[in-house]
Amino acid sequence: MIPHIMVHAVLQQAVAGFYTDLVTRPTGRAVRENIERDLPPGTVAVMDFTGVGCLDYSCADEIVAKLVRDKVKVLLLRGLTDAHREAIEPVLAGAGLAVLCERADGVLEGLGASEPAPALLDELIERRLAARIPGGSIRLTAA
Amino acid sequence: MTRLIEVPTQFDDRSFDQFTAAYAQAGDGERLLFDAHAAEWASPYGLVGLLAAGEAATRKGERPLLTAPANPDVVSYWARAGFFREAEDLFEVHGKVPRTKVATESEVLLPVTPVRAAEDVHAVVSTIQQRASAILSSELGLDPKATMGFAMALSESCQNIVEHAGTGGWVAVQAYNWRRKLARRVVVIAVADAGVGFRHSLEPTQAKRFGERWGDAAALEAALVQGVSRFRDPGRGQGLAGIRRYLTRWEGKVAIRSGTARIAIVPRWDDDVPLKEGLPAFPGSQVLLIIPEQVAEKAGGSSQR
Repeated sequence: MIPHIMVHAVLQQAVAGFYTDLVTRPTGRAVRENIERDLPPGTVAVMDFTGVGCLDYSCADEIVAKLVRDKVKVLLLRGLTDAHREAIEPVLAGAGLAVLCERADGVLEGLGASEPAPALLDELIERRLAARIPGGSIRLTAA
Repeated sequence: MTRLIEVPTQFDDRSFDQFTAAYAQAGDGERLLFDAHAAEWASPYGLVGLLAAGEAATRKGERPLLTAPANPDVVSYWARAGFFREAEDLFEVHGKVPRTKVATESEVLLPVTPVRAAEDVHAVVSTIQQRASAILSSELGLDPKATMGFAMALSESCQNIVEHAGTGGWVAVQAYNWRRKLARRVVVIAVADAGVGFRHSLEPTQAKRFGERWGDAAALEAALVQGVSRFRDPGRGQGLAGIRRYLTRWEGKVAIRSGTARIAIVPRWDDDVPLKEGLPAFPGSQVLLIIPEQVAEKAGGSSQR
């Protein structure tokens, strides 16, 4: 079973005040620490950004990059807007890190540095969490 | 003894160094009188910069004096822009200041707003998204996707205060017609503090690397161009790099003044210089972001929307 993290819900729990934006390092740190509590190291996790407004570079680094660097084996993002991607992509690429991103049509693709992304897809296939479909693209088998 | 510091009649980033030159001459123990009675116009940069000067002067000694603009339209605009709401705590204000509500008009996208903690940045980002989206897309012709990038740039600019200044600061965002320079509408973000500045903030980790070149200009270059941070955490330094990327994409301008230097990423429509050194010393950091109205390219040149 892949752990599902609803980022907007975690934000509501982690920070006092009703915020929909993931901005500032302290907010990012609080959200990440909240996520880390229930996440075993080396796991595969799905992180859903539905309902999150603005995501700034500081939060992208504090949450996504640090989870990838220190905690999870494969991080799969869904519910991303173009603006979220614009914050996350350079932060990951600059650190040589990558995550997988589920597009609206269900296809998985790499986000961040290009080098580590194929290995992440292979890991999901190896764990039978994803499969290659006719045409070559890769989708989750169970989520 | 009271020292008079004239506020330029057209008070913006261009005339700011005329203001700082007078400020830098003030000695310890002198009470400062900031004289804005002849002011005809002030940009958001001028307004937040004046507040930073007031805070620095307060720290150095006696509470400074401020003569409000004599022109009723100008003083009214400063009030609507939220300047006097903040100035009352810093200055002994003289002159007729109208009891005007802080603006909800379209030009003032974000009135002068204090930034002291992460919660303030959340409030700023939330406010700007409610008020600025329509203006950015309909009036400036920005892709609707760019409005979120605008909020990100604003967030990162404000966080520089929270993370590095060692004190509070102010932010203001306005949209206006920039006839003189560009003949287009622009949105301007101005952020200022009277804190420790970039050189002091980066000195422990960067001074050795730069050797004799180390100073305000080198610190600004390290932060804006090389994306270094005072924190050793590998993910730090993303904010200014992100701001630079965003503004480059939308032909915008970023300029940061700190201490005795000023660095700018200069778009093709501007004639500013990339780096100025040896400016009159002024505390903290002052950040200016300008996003111009996007124009459609036509054969034989560009045309306005």
